[in-house]
Amino acid sequence: MHDNVIDRSKDITILEVLDRVLNKGVVITGDVVISVADVDLVYLGIKLMLSSVETMEQLKSGKYIASGT
Amino acid sequence: MYPRLNKSTRQISTGQIPEKELLSMENDLIYVYCIAGKPPSPDWEMDSKGLLSINCDGFYVIMKYVSGAEFSEENLKNNLADLQWLEKNAREHIVVINMIMEHGTVIPFNFGTIYQSEDNLKKFITTYSDSLNDHFIHISGMEEWSVKVYCDRKSLSKQIDELSPEAAALEMQIMASSPGKAFLLKRKKTELIENEMDRLIKNYGQEYYNDFKNLSEATSLNNLLPKEYTGREDTMILNAAFLVRKTNVPDFKNRVGFLRRKDGNSGFFIEATGPWPPYSFISIKENQ
Repeated sequence: MHDNVIDRSKDITILEVLDRVLNKGVVITGDVVISVADVDLVYLGIKLMLSSVETMEQLKSGKYIASGT
Repeated sequence: MYPRLNKSTRQISTGQIPEKELLSMENDLIYVYCIAGKPPSPDWEMDSKGLLSINCDGFYVIMKYVSGAEFSEENLKNNLADLQWLEKNAREHIVVINMIMEHGTVIPFNFGTIYQSEDNLKKFITTYSDSLNDHFIHISGMEEWSVKVYCDRKSLSKQIDELSPEAAALEMQIMASSPGKAFLLKRKKTELIENEMDRLIKNYGQEYYNDFKNLSEATSLNNLLPKEYTGREDTMILNAAFLVRKTNVPDFKNRVGFLRRKDGNSGFFIEATGPWPPYSFISIKENQ
């Protein structure tokens, strides 16, 4: 009955996924290298995406529009 | 190089190679998902995802042949900056490992581990076979569970008189004081509330951590993520992974439910996800 306390897989955010699959587990160079700098860029991308989502929500809720008119 | 966020620019990242050439590129790179300790089953599941398993030194490497159009060093770098591509492939990475995990213990690999030949991959396995064996012993019969706890300070401040004896005492004093004195005491209380909330958040975070630690075999603390990353209004106060023995998982889940009910009204929210491949408890790292 307590199963509903566990968040379903569809609700798992991309952040949670990346938190694990980037730079965790067996981290070996292989023959193709993803550098730490590349991973940093990924996180920068997420930050930009989230902040743009926030901006869009603010736009939708009329915060910006209200002050502009 | 900035991440490409919208659909219209997606083509650029994967499409730097003209379509014709893309089609002619062969799937000749090896993408590694994880290592299993016994043969993966059933076959149809493997086939449906185009997966192969190579047996090497008694380990079963779960892999897939992929194309250089997506996974050559240069193309992979470009694709990493494409969040839609990354999300699709990172989720797929986890989905495959979870599928294999249902049939036995796995050692998960970092996303985007690519080999050019089976020989190179086998060399790695042979070099690390002792360490791989140790890990299999350590994580066998275990699951990784993630717990993130958030606190909404506004909700917490509303409950402060119930949770902090000091705040409650001061409130009594305010009610018994003359308007002038009450005004000064209220200012004092505002400051006290902030300090008490900091203290409570620290205590709760520690208690949650201890609670879940008692139900697990190993723990790993991760950085607290700022709101820019979580996209949430409340503040992250605990970000931890727990290695839980499978037989203890029901207790672990019940604990999450219990704490959620107990502290939900005080502004605390527990987010638990799992089972994850034991990512946080693998320490096989080559210097990059």
